[in-house]
Amino acid sequence: MSKSFGGVRALDNASFAAAAGEVHALVGENGAGKSTLIKLLGGRLLPDTGTIRLKGNEVRLTGPEQAHARGAWTVFQELMLFAGMTVAENLLLGREPRGPLGVISHRRMGRAAEALLAEMGITHIDPLALVEDISLAQRQIVEIVRALSHEPDILFLDEPTSSLVEREVSWLFERVRALRDQGACVIFTSHRWNEVRSIADRITVFRNGRDVGTFTELDESEAVTLMTGQRLDTLFPARPPEPAAAPVLQVQDLSGPRVDRVGLALRPGEILGIGGLAGQGHRELFLLLFGADRPSGGRITIDGHAARIHSPRDAKRRIHGLAFVPEDRKTEGLLLGMSVRDNLTLSILDRISRAGVLRLGQERRQAQDMMQRLSVRAAGVSSPVGALSGGNQQKVLLGRWLMAEPRILLFYDVTRGVDVATKHEVYQLMVRLAQEGRAILFYSSDAEELAELSHRVLVMREGRIAAELIAPGITAEQIVSAAVHERIAA
Amino acid sequence: MSASLPDRSRRPRWAHLLAQNIGLELSVFLLVACVLGYCGAFYAQQQRFPGGFEVTSTVNNTMPLVLAGMAQTLVVLTRGIDLSVGGVIDLTNATAAITLGDSPGSMVLWSGVVLLIGAACGLVNGLLVGLGRLQPILVTLATLSIYQGVAIRVLPQPGGQVPEVYTAVLANTSGPWSLLYVVALGVLWTGFRRTRLGVAVFAIGNDPQAAQANGIAARRVVILAYVLGGVLSAAAGLFLAASATAGDATTGNGFTLTSIVAVVLGGVSLFGGRGSAVGAIMGAFVINMIVNILFFAHIDPLYQAFYEGMFLVVAVLAANGIGRLARVRR
Amino acid sequence: MMGVRIDRDQRRVLYAAAAAVLLFVAGELVRPGFASGQGIESVLVVASFVGFVAAGQMFVVLIGGIDLSVPWVLNAAAIVMVTTTGGADSRLVLGLAATLGMGALVGLISGIGVAAFGVPAVVMTLAMNGIMEGLTLGLSSGLTCHSCASYAPPLIQAAVHGHLLGVPAVLYVWLLVLLVVSFALSFTVFGRATYAVGNSARVSYLAGIRVSVVTVSLYALSGVFSALAGIMLVGFGGQAALGMGDPYLFQSIAAVVIGGVYILGGRGTYVGVVAGSVTLVALVSVLLALNMPDYGRSIVYGVIILGLLLAYGREEEER
Repeated sequence: MSKSFGGVRALDNASFAAAAGEVHALVGENGAGKSTLIKLLGGRLLPDTGTIRLKGNEVRLTGPEQAHARGAWTVFQELMLFAGMTVAENLLLGREPRGPLGVISHRRMGRAAEALLAEMGITHIDPLALVEDISLAQRQIVEIVRALSHEPDILFLDEPTSSLVEREVSWLFERVRALRDQGACVIFTSHRWNEVRSIADRITVFRNGRDVGTFTELDESEAVTLMTGQRLDTLFPARPPEPAAAPVLQVQDLSGPRVDRVGLALRPGEILGIGGLAGQGHRELFLLLFGADRPSGGRITIDGHAARIHSPRDAKRRIHGLAFVPEDRKTEGLLLGMSVRDNLTLSILDRISRAGVLRLGQERRQAQDMMQRLSVRAAGVSSPVGALSGGNQQKVLLGRWLMAEPRILLFYDVTRGVDVATKHEVYQLMVRLAQEGRAILFYSSDAEELAELSHRVLVMREGRIAAELIAPGITAEQIVSAAVHERIAA
Repeated sequence: MSASLPDRSRRPRWAHLLAQNIGLELSVFLLVACVLGYCGAFYAQQQRFPGGFEVTSTVNNTMPLVLAGMAQTLVVLTRGIDLSVGGVIDLTNATAAITLGDSPGSMVLWSGVVLLIGAACGLVNGLLVGLGRLQPILVTLATLSIYQGVAIRVLPQPGGQVPEVYTAVLANTSGPWSLLYVVALGVLWTGFRRTRLGVAVFAIGNDPQAAQANGIAARRVVILAYVLGGVLSAAAGLFLAASATAGDATTGNGFTLTSIVAVVLGGVSLFGGRGSAVGAIMGAFVINMIVNILFFAHIDPLYQAFYEGMFLVVAVLAANGIGRLARVRR
Repeated sequence: MMGVRIDRDQRRVLYAAAAAVLLFVAGELVRPGFASGQGIESVLVVASFVGFVAAGQMFVVLIGGIDLSVPWVLNAAAIVMVTTTGGADSRLVLGLAATLGMGALVGLISGIGVAAFGVPAVVMTLAMNGIMEGLTLGLSSGLTCHSCASYAPPLIQAAVHGHLLGVPAVLYVWLLVLLVVSFALSFTVFGRATYAVGNSARVSYLAGIRVSVVTVSLYALSGVFSALAGIMLVGFGGQAALGMGDPYLFQSIAAVVIGGVYILGGRGTYVGVVAGSVTLVALVSVLLALNMPDYGRSIVYGVIILGLLLAYGREEEER
């Protein structure tokens, strides 16, 4: 099957087959085409070319309901729940129990939902709570329960474990195995190799929109080689030299929404990794540091002076010199309807203007220079940024903040959803920035990245710094186990 | 089960309902406050409390706005807005005034036709929004102009005639019988909220993408919401004709904006997916109460719009503030 | 702001301009002399009033907002103008300052409600319209006050009716507005920030743009332009009247949309809005030339707007 978005080929003649009674894992880098494939199989997108066969019959899935009719249910990566409706309404959507008058009975619905959850071994989610009031992990479980409750013959799970902790993952796997043993086919994607190894009967590897092979046995380094097309050791550049001694950024007892008395010191030339499971307060910590959220307590010191940062505008001032590269390019990073130039210079408009009037020539030159420096592939500075590939979009976003000449860079999962080549360039850029004496605070959902690039890694758990790991010798396993440690012990 | 997850205590059902319907609770509070204010102003003026006559005229006067507010709610819940409510009321009101005959058969038949006209108007809006994928605010702005034009074509001068029996049924002045209609509408809404269509309307307002992914026929639901809105607006046109005993092709114009105000005061989110038409019903009564209070408080009628505007701002600011507080507490 | 996107935007401006030309041709066919110098001039003069209001409306629409307070800000402005000057040129500066200041203040309050308190723009500006209606009617005692009947200062009347090089003075004012607004949008930090906020307020905020300040300023500008339209209209008609602002809400939104400004914000130019204003007024004039009654105009008006929306809407599919 093939599928393109704009000019970008997300799936390029990819094929794979899964049999009844097996758990089949799809692995690959971000952007390898797994999620697109699942969307095609789930009936949310139509392929440009190629065919889908379910249970031997060729099908054309023009909508999710057609997949459902054939016993194929999907848990999409971006959860498809209704925030303003209750857990029960979400679980039973389209098959609500009726009362005597033929209208939906909320009482029966609450009971039915409760029973459904209990049957799956879930007792900690209140069926009457609104989805927006329960945690991310609970939402993911609700979504999974909803799919399971249809007793699917074919179940697609796209990153079902991304915000689950270990115990919840083992709950899921128990259900998955039970389903498989009943003869169903379960297809799932995950970034966590341990999970893939522990549950998958077969593994299909994707790279750049193509399938590169299906395996029953595959060890991690082989998998990485297949996924990235290169050896792990060449993906990451050498760590930059030891940083200076005096910190440029000091944080003491910083608290805010989901952040609980965090303290850290960041030195010029240092890459300080932040790790942990999703939803443990990293994002909120970055937003607090950048002035986009209001702290409820604690102190931020820059160059030994108390920093007064009440907005991103304050944060980027020269005396503070902060920059924040967010993960979500669509909603937080880029103005997709505007040009590469507009996006690059957005944070330095004051510097390329006089009396409020833009100096367009200077702006154009600076934008072109930055495009060259980061080798952004685009027709020109006036191309709309929305037409660029994910990797190039990410470079534009990085370029915006490099233009501001920051001293402290807050990188929040910047390699998510970009191709391997761009990842490699981003890593090299980070090392270069550190060598120039800039300080980098670096959160990543990819423990490997943190382990390979950081001088130190701080692992966050429930809003607090739970562990500190110091290079050399940090491994991804250490980071992951520190991230889940307390959960297992409890 | 080896991998069972930790248990957590449940909150009782009423606690959930209380926490999940703050908008509705605020509109109840607002209505109670307004009724008390009205009684106070009335007493200060008349040295007695409002009686049956006042209740009757209040309910009869508010009925059209109740219906228009419900129409607006349906559309707003799908993340839309219907500026053509006033135009539909104009058109249906005008049509009713020239068609309703004295025989029961004629009245029933033509009432049905008028409601169908409303449905057709809603269908046009719905098709343009759902299939044409145009912005609701622009579509309904354009159709407002069209419906208003057609209404004037139908009834160039205010006039026509509505049979007395018709008025007696819809807007009886001998007692607050119209309260029955209000209650019936509330019950109907509660039922609608519990149908598949009702659930789908909320689902789309919450997250159109998720609705689609869950197999909800989003376009059809949106179109139906506009159609039902059109029917309710047409009913408002009929009630207006009944209580005025005649028609006027411009009588509905004010309802476009007041229906939005009723929706907002009723705690329905203009961003879709949250709120209840019951709130909009109360919002409609709040608006009417405010007008009455201003009257009895001897406010210069020239300043009426000023106080209404101020009230709207203050009410929305207060609701925002309380909503935010409640959210933080939760 | 070039490349593919501007092509589409330019195309929309061309659509609107072409529609205006077509309407003039149609008008000439219906009533010879419609597209003569004088015919065009009278359409342009009327269009300029729509254009002033639409400039303000465009500013708020560019950030995904809307200004429903246009009618009574405009009406109040006309009344403030005649009452403060009492028809005397000597008090013109005072009158202008009071009128434009009033417009700015109203817009400022709307903007603060929207930006700082999160009130939906529809609700906030609707309420402000009511507040201005009540204040205008109340303070002028329903336009019966002593100075309410004053005429506009002669200079203002001249600024509308006077001719310079054979062209009505008000068109020079419009040209000036066109130049200033276009310059501000294309060549200043403020303009860039406006488009940025319209594309995504969150992204702009995280890039260090003062989103609230931009928002409040745009609403204030909308108030100023409504007030400007009020001044010009009272110069045109000589005296203020109640309800004189009512047609301009619908027309300003229609002109903005016909001119290719995206109703959810982030895209559009004032050149397009000017073309939209001319199209709109030319349409009304053609229908008048056809002796079409009020109701017919209202219907055709709506149908044409729907037609244009459908023509544009096809391009909106991916969003």
